[in-house]
Amino acid sequence: MASEHIIKSYDDELRRLNNAITQMGGLAESQLSAAIEAVVKRDSDLAAEVVQGDAQVDQLEHDVDGLVVRLLALRQPMARDLREILSALRIAADLERICDYAANVAKRSIALNQAPPVRPVYALPRMARLAETLTKDVLDAYVERDAERALVVWARDEELDEMYSGLFRELLTYMMEDPRNITACTHLLFMAKNIERIGDHATNIAETVYFLVHGKPLTQARPKGDRSSLAVVQPDDDDRPLGGKED
Amino acid sequence: MNAQQHATTGAAPSNATLGAPRIEVKARATEPEGQARPDLVEKVVIRDMSFFYKDFEAVRGINLALYDRHVTAFIGPSGCGKSTLLRTLNRIYDLYPGQRATGEILIDGHNILEPGQDLNLLRAKVGMVFQKPTPFPMSIFDNVAFGIRLYEKLPAAELEERVESALRRAALWEEVKDKLKQSGLSLSGGQQQRLCIARAIAVRPEILLLDEPASALDPISTQKIEELISELKSDYCIAIVTHNMQQAARSSDYTAFMYLGELVEFDETETIFTKPRDRRTEDYITGRFG
Repeated sequence: MASEHIIKSYDDELRRLNNAITQMGGLAESQLSAAIEAVVKRDSDLAAEVVQGDAQVDQLEHDVDGLVVRLLALRQPMARDLREILSALRIAADLERICDYAANVAKRSIALNQAPPVRPVYALPRMARLAETLTKDVLDAYVERDAERALVVWARDEELDEMYSGLFRELLTYMMEDPRNITACTHLLFMAKNIERIGDHATNIAETVYFLVHGKPLTQARPKGDRSSLAVVQPDDDDRPLGGKED
Repeated sequence: MNAQQHATTGAAPSNATLGAPRIEVKARATEPEGQARPDLVEKVVIRDMSFFYKDFEAVRGINLALYDRHVTAFIGPSGCGKSTLLRTLNRIYDLYPGQRATGEILIDGHNILEPGQDLNLLRAKVGMVFQKPTPFPMSIFDNVAFGIRLYEKLPAAELEERVESALRRAALWEEVKDKLKQSGLSLSGGQQQRLCIARAIAVRPEILLLDEPASALDPISTQKIEELISELKSDYCIAIVTHNMQQAARSSDYTAFMYLGELVEFDETETIFTKPRDRRTEDYITGRFG
């Protein structure tokens, strides 16, 4: 934060807001990493802990909402202060969603543990680690108020999209090979989609950090690597490449 | 040549022909990229203007344009020279010995700082309203008619029309139409201030200077004055000095931030209050000024 306000309690409130976001960010990282550990180790107890842990994040988001409303009503913030406060509100919403996705991954892992393991499970942690890195980096960028660093995250989300597209194709192949794989693979598909969405929220945060620092929105189109929404599968035609045409 | 330059040269055609050095007006609102602003007409152009109280230079080297039919707010800490700057625009400082302005203030291209300037004419053209309501100790009607009578001899019916129209413009008519003979001093603070605005606009000025017009008023009266400002700007070039940042943000189109007698930053109000360029402006509007 820049130099101090004449009114000290204003600074205290802004600091509390910042701390709440940092705390939420820390929770988001640990929830995601625990969810993946639960998948890899087939640990249903750990998965259940992650699901329960989501309530804490929701509570923090409510705290942020309350602080923001209070600051807007009492301080009539201007310029950078206004951007700080609006950014906190938006980032809190993104972090809450990230934690929801992590909890959903954990929840599905419990179901997954009831079935025998399928091979594509091993691609999931790689995706999750990248999502975790993106989340961690964008939160660092927020703490440092570093728009350049945020932009790196923003551009790297494409990698995550591409990983998701790859996993999507792989999972379809497994399902076609043996219908008994369908339950596990469908859960995995949703889990992969959740992780891909976490990347999207990390890029939202990156855009918010950019706005916070520069005072103008990031208007460029983001590179996208997820082609799965265009995929068409025809089981009769084995030679046909899966994943559809690139646009 | 863009619309603004047209407006400048159109307003001051003598500048080039007289061979006077063309002084670049530095403070000018940023335009959206590649867009001319044909709606902006420079009503007042201040060039390299400085103001002195005896030997003390209270305002230094101001370059600024005020646009017609727009509101420009002057903000800054106490003693930054914003009221002083406003006071130069109708040369009200001439009433006090030892005060003088240098440089140029062009209104419609005419330099009002020239010695031959007719001050009565200038003040009819540039109306002013002060921080504290200053109704004259006479009836409401006479308060508004006072200025008109100074400049024009009107038949009674026409005078009444002018008074009514000014009071309507100042959003006061409905409240005083049945008691025009009562003293102006009998009105509430907010009404007195609107009476002063009615008095100022009754002489049909082109520019309105408002020096903290709402700082002595309660919130409801303040909102009425703000509403009035937004109504009046369709007809006038308005300059307002205010200590209330939210008021400046709400009621002006352009904002000038002054500090220690200098113009630090001038831009569209939205830019000043969301993303000012100068650190001092940001510190001031966010309440970080030590």
